[in-house]
Amino acid sequence: MRTYEVMFVVDPRVSDEDVVTMTQEYKNMITAGGSQITSEENWGRRKLAYPIDKLNEGKYVLLYVGSETGKNSLHEVEHRMRQNDKILRYLTVRTDEDLKRAARRQPAGGAASGGPSGAAGERAGVDEDVAPGGAEREEGV
Amino acid sequence: MARARKVFFRRRKVCKFCADKIDYIDYKDVKLLQQFIPERSKILPRRISGTCANHQRPLQRAIKRARHLALIPFTTD
Repeated sequence: MRTYEVMFVVDPRVSDEDVVTMTQEYKNMITAGGSQITSEENWGRRKLAYPIDKLNEGKYVLLYVGSETGKNSLHEVEHRMRQNDKILRYLTVRTDEDLKRAARRQPAGGAASGGPSGAAGERAGVDEDVAPGGAEREEGV
Repeated sequence: MARARKVFFRRRKVCKFCADKIDYIDYKDVKLLQQFIPERSKILPRRISGTCANHQRPLQRAIKRARHLALIPFTTD
Protein backbone atom coordinates (compact mmCIF):
# COMPACT_ATOMS: atom_id res chain seq x y z
CA MET A 1 0.00 0.00 0.00
CA ARG A 2 1.45 3.29 -1.05
CA THR A 3 0.29 6.43 0.61
CA TYR A 4 0.61 9.91 -0.65
CA GLU A 5 -0.18 13.36 0.51
CA VAL A 6 -1.30 15.93 -1.97
CA MET A 7 -1.35 19.46 -0.74
CA PHE A 8 -2.23 22.51 -2.75
CA VAL A 9 -2.71 26.19 -2.21
CA VAL A 10 -5.58 27.93 -3.92
CA ASP A 11 -5.96 31.58 -4.72
CA PRO A 12 -7.86 33.18 -1.82
CA ARG A 13 -10.18 35.02 -4.19
CA VAL A 14 -11.74 31.72 -5.14
CA SER A 15 -14.83 31.16 -3.04
CA ASP A 16 -14.99 28.32 -0.54
CA GLU A 17 -17.64 26.52 -2.58
CA ASP A 18 -15.47 26.66 -5.66
CA VAL A 19 -12.57 25.29 -3.68
CA VAL A 20 -14.76 22.38 -2.66
CA THR A 21 -15.87 21.66 -6.20
CA MET A 22 -12.30 21.96 -7.40
CA THR A 23 -11.15 19.56 -4.72
CA GLN A 24 -13.94 17.19 -5.65
CA GLU A 25 -12.77 17.24 -9.23
CA TYR A 26 -9.27 16.22 -8.24
CA LYS A 27 -10.63 13.60 -5.87
CA ASN A 28 -12.64 12.12 -8.70
CA MET A 29 -9.53 12.01 -10.83
CA ILE A 30 -7.64 10.24 -8.08
CA THR A 31 -10.32 7.65 -7.44
CA ALA A 32 -10.76 7.11 -11.17
CA GLY A 33 -7.06 6.32 -11.33
CA GLY A 34 -7.42 3.42 -8.92
CA SER A 35 -6.54 5.04 -5.60
CA GLN A 36 -8.71 6.08 -2.74
CA ILE A 37 -8.91 9.16 -0.59
CA THR A 38 -8.18 8.09 2.97
CA SER A 39 -8.83 11.46 4.48
CA GLU A 40 -8.98 15.09 3.70
CA GLU A 41 -8.18 18.31 5.47
CA ASN A 42 -9.19 21.79 4.64
CA TRP A 43 -7.02 24.31 6.39
CA GLY A 44 -8.92 27.21 4.94
CA ARG A 45 -7.46 30.65 4.55
CA ARG A 46 -3.95 30.95 5.84
CA LYS A 47 -1.29 33.60 5.61
CA LEU A 48 1.53 32.81 3.21
CA ALA A 49 5.08 33.04 4.47
CA TYR A 50 5.97 35.08 1.41
CA PRO A 51 3.83 36.65 -1.29
CA ILE A 52 3.02 34.53 -4.32
CA ASP A 53 1.75 36.42 -7.37
CA LYS A 54 1.32 39.43 -5.11
CA LEU A 55 -1.06 37.50 -2.89
CA ASN A 56 -0.49 37.27 0.81
CA GLU A 57 -2.96 34.57 1.65
CA GLY A 58 -3.92 31.20 0.33
CA LYS A 59 -6.40 28.45 0.93
CA TYR A 60 -4.79 25.18 1.83
CA VAL A 61 -6.25 21.83 0.97
CA LEU A 62 -4.69 18.52 1.89
CA LEU A 63 -5.60 15.10 0.56
CA TYR A 64 -4.36 11.80 1.89
CA VAL A 65 -4.28 9.23 -0.85
CA GLY A 66 -3.82 5.49 -0.58
CA SER A 67 -3.07 3.25 -3.50
CA GLU A 68 -3.29 -0.49 -3.01
CA THR A 69 -1.74 -1.51 -6.29
CA GLY A 70 0.73 1.30 -6.66
CA LYS A 71 -1.15 2.48 -9.68
CA ASN A 72 -2.34 6.03 -9.47
CA SER A 73 -3.19 9.04 -11.51
CA LEU A 74 -1.32 11.55 -9.43
CA HIS A 75 0.81 12.48 -12.35
CA GLU A 76 -2.23 13.61 -14.29
CA VAL A 77 -3.57 15.36 -11.23
CA GLU A 78 -0.34 17.30 -10.92
CA HIS A 79 -0.48 18.09 -14.59
CA ARG A 80 -3.96 19.52 -14.17
CA MET A 81 -2.91 21.52 -11.16
CA ARG A 82 -0.04 23.03 -13.09
CA GLN A 83 -2.46 24.20 -15.73
CA ASN A 84 -4.88 25.64 -13.24
CA ASP A 85 -3.79 29.19 -12.53
CA LYS A 86 -5.97 29.33 -9.43
CA ILE A 87 -3.55 26.94 -7.80
CA LEU A 88 -0.56 28.76 -6.46
CA ARG A 89 1.37 25.78 -5.19
CA TYR A 90 1.02 22.05 -5.00
CA LEU A 91 3.09 19.27 -3.54
CA THR A 92 2.76 15.53 -3.74
CA VAL A 93 4.72 13.47 -1.28
CA ARG A 94 4.90 9.74 -0.94
CA THR A 95 4.70 8.96 2.75
CA ASP A 96 4.43 5.21 3.27
CA GLU A 97 8.15 4.53 3.31
CA ASP A 98 8.98 7.25 5.79
CA LEU A 99 6.08 6.35 8.04
CA LYS A 100 7.05 2.71 7.91
CA ARG A 101 10.60 3.55 8.83
CA ALA A 102 9.35 5.66 11.70
CA ALA A 103 7.12 2.87 12.91
CA ARG A 104 10.01 0.43 12.81
CA ARG A 105 12.21 2.66 14.88
CA GLN A 106 9.50 2.95 17.47
CA PRO A 107 7.58 -0.31 17.71
CA ALA A 108 5.31 1.11 20.38
CA GLY A 109 3.68 3.10 17.61
CA GLY A 110 1.51 6.13 17.69
CA ALA A 111 4.43 8.47 17.13
CA ALA A 112 3.99 9.45 13.54
CA SER A 113 2.44 12.83 13.91
CA GLY A 114 0.01 14.08 11.36
CA GLY A 115 0.21 11.00 9.21
CA PRO A 116 -2.89 9.28 7.96
CA SER A 117 -4.25 7.23 10.78
CA GLY A 118 -3.36 3.59 10.61
CA ALA A 119 -0.60 4.07 8.09
CA ALA A 120 2.01 3.85 10.82
CA GLY A 121 0.65 0.58 12.03
CA GLU A 122 0.62 -1.26 8.75
CA ARG A 123 3.83 -3.17 8.57
CA ALA A 124 2.44 -6.57 7.80
CA GLY A 125 4.07 -7.14 4.42
CA VAL A 126 7.73 -7.57 5.28
CA ASP A 127 9.01 -7.23 1.74
CA GLU A 128 7.32 -3.99 1.06
CA ASP A 129 7.20 -2.39 -2.32
CA VAL A 130 10.63 -0.86 -2.53
CA ALA A 131 10.21 0.87 -5.88
CA PRO A 132 13.73 2.08 -6.55
CA GLY A 133 12.76 4.59 -9.18
CA GLY A 134 9.94 6.58 -7.74
CA ALA A 135 10.71 6.71 -4.08
CA GLU A 136 8.90 9.96 -3.90
CA ARG A 137 7.71 12.61 -6.19
CA GLU A 138 8.17 16.20 -5.49
CA GLU A 139 7.65 18.82 -8.05
CA GLY A 140 8.01 22.53 -8.22
CA VAL A 141 5.83 24.93 -10.03
CA MET B 1 54.09 15.75 22.50
CA ALA B 2 52.29 17.62 25.12
CA ARG B 3 49.25 19.33 23.93
CA ALA B 4 47.85 22.20 25.88
CA ARG B 5 44.15 21.81 25.99
CA LYS B 6 41.81 24.13 27.61
CA VAL B 7 39.13 22.34 29.45
CA PHE B 8 35.87 24.06 29.91
CA PHE B 9 32.44 22.79 30.24
CA ARG B 10 29.92 23.15 27.55
CA ARG B 11 26.40 21.94 27.79
CA ARG B 12 26.08 18.76 25.86
CA LYS B 13 23.77 19.14 22.94
CA VAL B 14 21.29 16.44 22.20
CA CYS B 15 19.31 15.85 19.11
CA LYS B 16 15.80 17.09 19.71
CA PHE B 17 14.28 14.39 17.55
CA CYS B 18 16.12 11.62 19.35
CA ALA B 19 15.18 13.03 22.71
CA ASP B 20 11.53 13.58 21.88
CA LYS B 21 11.32 10.38 19.84
CA ILE B 22 10.03 12.11 16.76
CA ASP B 23 10.64 9.74 13.90
CA TYR B 24 8.59 11.24 11.16
CA ILE B 25 9.38 14.87 10.58
CA ASP B 26 6.33 16.33 8.98
CA TYR B 27 6.58 19.30 6.66
CA LYS B 28 3.16 20.44 7.87
CA ASP B 29 4.34 20.80 11.45
CA VAL B 30 5.26 24.45 11.16
CA LYS B 31 5.73 24.92 14.87
CA LEU B 32 8.34 22.21 15.01
CA LEU B 33 10.20 23.40 11.93
CA GLN B 34 10.21 26.97 13.12
CA GLN B 35 12.55 25.98 15.92
CA PHE B 36 15.17 25.21 13.31
CA ILE B 37 14.93 28.36 11.29
CA PRO B 38 16.43 31.33 13.06
CA GLU B 39 15.89 34.99 12.22
CA ARG B 40 17.32 34.94 8.74
CA SER B 41 15.23 31.87 7.95
CA LYS B 42 18.24 29.78 7.19
CA ILE B 43 18.28 26.17 8.22
CA LEU B 44 20.03 25.89 11.55
CA PRO B 45 23.23 23.88 11.10
CA ARG B 46 23.79 20.69 12.98
CA ARG B 47 26.76 22.07 14.80
CA ILE B 48 24.53 24.64 16.42
CA SER B 49 21.35 22.71 16.99
CA GLY B 50 22.99 19.41 17.86
CA THR B 51 20.61 17.46 15.67
CA CYS B 52 22.03 14.11 14.64
CA ALA B 53 22.74 13.44 10.99
CA ASN B 54 19.95 10.92 10.72
CA HIS B 55 17.44 13.52 11.74
CA GLN B 56 18.99 16.57 10.13
CA ARG B 57 18.43 15.04 6.72
CA PRO B 58 14.66 14.55 6.98
CA LEU B 59 14.44 17.86 8.79
CA GLN B 60 16.10 19.62 5.91
CA ARG B 61 13.74 17.94 3.49
CA ALA B 62 10.73 18.91 5.57
CA ILE B 63 11.83 22.53 5.75
CA LYS B 64 12.31 22.71 2.01
CA ARG B 65 8.89 21.23 1.40
CA ALA B 66 7.30 23.66 3.79
CA ARG B 67 9.06 26.52 2.07
CA HIS B 68 7.70 25.49 -1.26
CA LEU B 69 4.17 25.61 0.09
CA ALA B 70 4.80 29.01 1.68
CA LEU B 71 4.33 27.63 5.16
CA ILE B 72 7.68 28.99 6.21
CA PRO B 73 9.72 31.71 4.52
CA PHE B 74 12.79 31.37 2.35
CA THR B 75 14.24 34.59 3.65
CA THR B 76 13.31 37.49 5.80
CA ASP B 77 14.35 40.88 4.62
